[in-house]
Amino acid sequence: MRVYNTTCCTHYLFRFMPSSKLLGYSNSNNFHSVISPSFSKTKTKTPKFSSFISTTMSTVSTDKNQTHTHPLQVAKRLEKFKTTIFTQMSMLAIKHGAINLGQGFPNFDGPDFVKEAAIQAIRDGNNQYARGYGVPDLNIAIAERFKKDTGLVVDPEKEITVTSGCTEAIAATVLGLINPGDEVIVFAPFYDSYEATLSMSGANVKGITLRPPDFALPIEELKSTISKNTRAILLNTPHNPTGKMFTREELNTIASLCIENDVLVFSDEVYDKLAFDMEHISIASLPGMFERTVTMNSLGKTFSLTGWKIGWAIAPPHLTWGVRQAHAFLTFATSNPMQWAAAVALRAPDSYYTELKRDYMEKRAILVEGLKAVGFKVFPSTGTYFVVVDHTPFGHENDVAFCEYLVKEVGVVAIPTSVFYLNPEDGKNLVRFTFCKDEGTLRAAVERMKEKLRK
Amino acid sequence: MNSDRVIRKEEMEGKLSRAAKKLTSSPIQELSHLAQRCNAINLAEGFPDFPAPIHIKNAAVSAINSDFNQYRHVQGICQHLAKMVKEMHGLDIDPLTDVAISCGQTEAFAASIFATIDPGDEVILFDPSYETYQGCVTMAGGVPIHVPLDPPLWSLDPSKLLRSITERTKAIILNSPHNPTGKVFTKDELETIAGACCSRNCLAITDEVYEHITYDNQKHISLATFPGMQERTIITSSLSKTFSVTGWRVGWAIAPASIASAIRNIHIIVTDSAPAPFQEAALTALRSPPEYFETLRREYQSKRDYTIKLLAGVGFKIQFIPQGSFFLFAELPDDCPLSDVEFVKKLILKAGVVAVPGQGFFHTNLSSDEVSNASCNYQKRYIRFAFCKSEATLSAVSEKLGKLLDTEGRLALH
Repeated sequence: MRVYNTTCCTHYLFRFMPSSKLLGYSNSNNFHSVISPSFSKTKTKTPKFSSFISTTMSTVSTDKNQTHTHPLQVAKRLEKFKTTIFTQMSMLAIKHGAINLGQGFPNFDGPDFVKEAAIQAIRDGNNQYARGYGVPDLNIAIAERFKKDTGLVVDPEKEITVTSGCTEAIAATVLGLINPGDEVIVFAPFYDSYEATLSMSGANVKGITLRPPDFALPIEELKSTISKNTRAILLNTPHNPTGKMFTREELNTIASLCIENDVLVFSDEVYDKLAFDMEHISIASLPGMFERTVTMNSLGKTFSLTGWKIGWAIAPPHLTWGVRQAHAFLTFATSNPMQWAAAVALRAPDSYYTELKRDYMEKRAILVEGLKAVGFKVFPSTGTYFVVVDHTPFGHENDVAFCEYLVKEVGVVAIPTSVFYLNPEDGKNLVRFTFCKDEGTLRAAVERMKEKLRK
Repeated sequence: MNSDRVIRKEEMEGKLSRAAKKLTSSPIQELSHLAQRCNAINLAEGFPDFPAPIHIKNAAVSAINSDFNQYRHVQGICQHLAKMVKEMHGLDIDPLTDVAISCGQTEAFAASIFATIDPGDEVILFDPSYETYQGCVTMAGGVPIHVPLDPPLWSLDPSKLLRSITERTKAIILNSPHNPTGKVFTKDELETIAGACCSRNCLAITDEVYEHITYDNQKHISLATFPGMQERTIITSSLSKTFSVTGWRVGWAIAPASIASAIRNIHIIVTDSAPAPFQEAALTALRSPPEYFETLRREYQSKRDYTIKLLAGVGFKIQFIPQGSFFLFAELPDDCPLSDVEFVKKLILKAGVVAVPGQGFFHTNLSSDEVSNASCNYQKRYIRFAFCKSEATLSAVSEKLGKLLDTEGRLALH
């Protein structure tokens, strides 16, 4: 088998690159064979939202009853999609003047030195297409940072792809490396776009549920689920929504099972700099793992610039190739001026990261102490800026009902975690709060809950 | 640490998806490397080498300073687009439901394809075509079907289109103004396409990124304006070409509400949000006065005319004058023995200028019964020149070519 040794198929020189010759496409080659994707195998259930949330939803996805009158159908892969819970809850927050501890982005802005770098890049004229797989200096900065964090030396040209946020890194990785029918293991609860992305690729999704109080990896269940038929595991550490961080022992277990069964790992590590109570470990750094891992990250969470959409995927060349294929057709290139700024950001001194952690730990303390004082059962959050709590002391039917009550009667927004599970029932006792807000906001939210939240 | 990275290449290559395994080295990629090594003047890349408009850059800077840096959806863009689409095409759209913002037209197109194409669906493309369309259709499991436009004027033969439509045809892709030829589809041609879509119940997905770059008082007509079309057309476009900010990644899809909603859902999965400060700047861009668009057109037209004069003057065959976009699809002179790729190679080495060999834009359709050496010969005779370049750049090209002329004033690269 040929070993390819190519730079990326997209080249800055031409407006589009890949050519059909480059990809070796002809009409008979597809990323997917022409079969119906196995949507029926995915255990997707629509979370049970109460009617008032449904009516505030923006336009629905497909209405199957319209088959006869509306001749043109959207693709079948969209049948399970709906407006995200975040949009719904944000709309409710506005409607009720509630403090929004639901949506996972800061209400404070990024550091000036990074913003200034972007402005300089705009003024310097870096406003045209960036190289498809990343502005060279950013790829280098990412490699430098990755080496500092993991000790791994990666080739910026062959092993790093810059994408529009980690969201696109995930989409490109899944679409580039997963064929319809491929088995993919995810750990529930999970960031809600994973399920939708996997569904889009036609993957056969197998969920393994992490359970409170410590959301530990259920080793026996993983052993019985993983097999030689498994194509990939989608891993997120530090973990959204629980704040769990996978320990070295857990990662070693996953690694040995992956090596034994020849499974890939797609590792979402966007919160790696928000690791508070233990050190973040990239699974790619474990023996035998780099060759089978795609490590994904972004600028947004670390630098409080979630709207800039700068992310990346680090993987060995043979996996990077698949990521770049998909990326080329999804967005082709990433925002140019922001990439220049991202290179500056990633070279920030250690003091930036130390301060970031300290700030977030203070915020975490305010929220966690407040939630405990109010009467929630709070599960320990080791990383990310999320914490999940058990709301059942307050006597509501499920997480959605509790969140409705919290918005309307108390004026605080949390996210019902049932959306993060393949089986919503698994999440009905839990809700997620975020502490990526300024301290005043956090204190005000805690005050409201102390005042109005009744058991 | 790296000693642990034993890359068992053959085993790992088994991990690639089916398509990923078919990598071959491309002559176009080799040219690209060569051009870089020779520091060639770049008339290949389809983006400007002159600065973006100041008022728009200032808007972006201001947005960054005003903390528009978190995830956002700027509804104002949808409102401005509704206004523009009404003014330009007379179309009524609902800004609340009919618009999906995306990271560039690339993502709008990808999301539109993923929102509408099921595996096995056939999708019609007019050849020559911008490469990404086919790749995207294929990624979604669709089957690209190419309908050739007829040289030298790249006209649409209705019978070729109608012959290519089957009961599996889900959509027709239309790029007008057209890359690489610069063609602006005529009213008759659009009527033919519209008629086919309606009678055969297909969708249309348009790429209108060059909508504001048309020449000789030609107006860009959107396919959606034809009877029965608005309800079945997805219009995709972006800021990139109109405002010379190809690197900002702000685009959109306009479609009937249920389809726009589906596109939005895909967009949310793929990127979740277009870059926030540039969405803000888009508001300023889309509010540009009519003078901005007139100047844009006028300046590009003068670059077009200069480039045509230059290339025709040194022997290229230019039978079709571009009516839109910033590309010129020039033909090699009849007596030139070289293929497009060979010619561009010499152009780089001898003249220090690079352009794109046209063959990458042509696709042989296995189902076509017209494939033969003779009739497809033209596919290796065209070269695409981009004239979205500063006057200094175009003059430099003139100078370089000027040094390589034979006694008859024709380019001699041998």
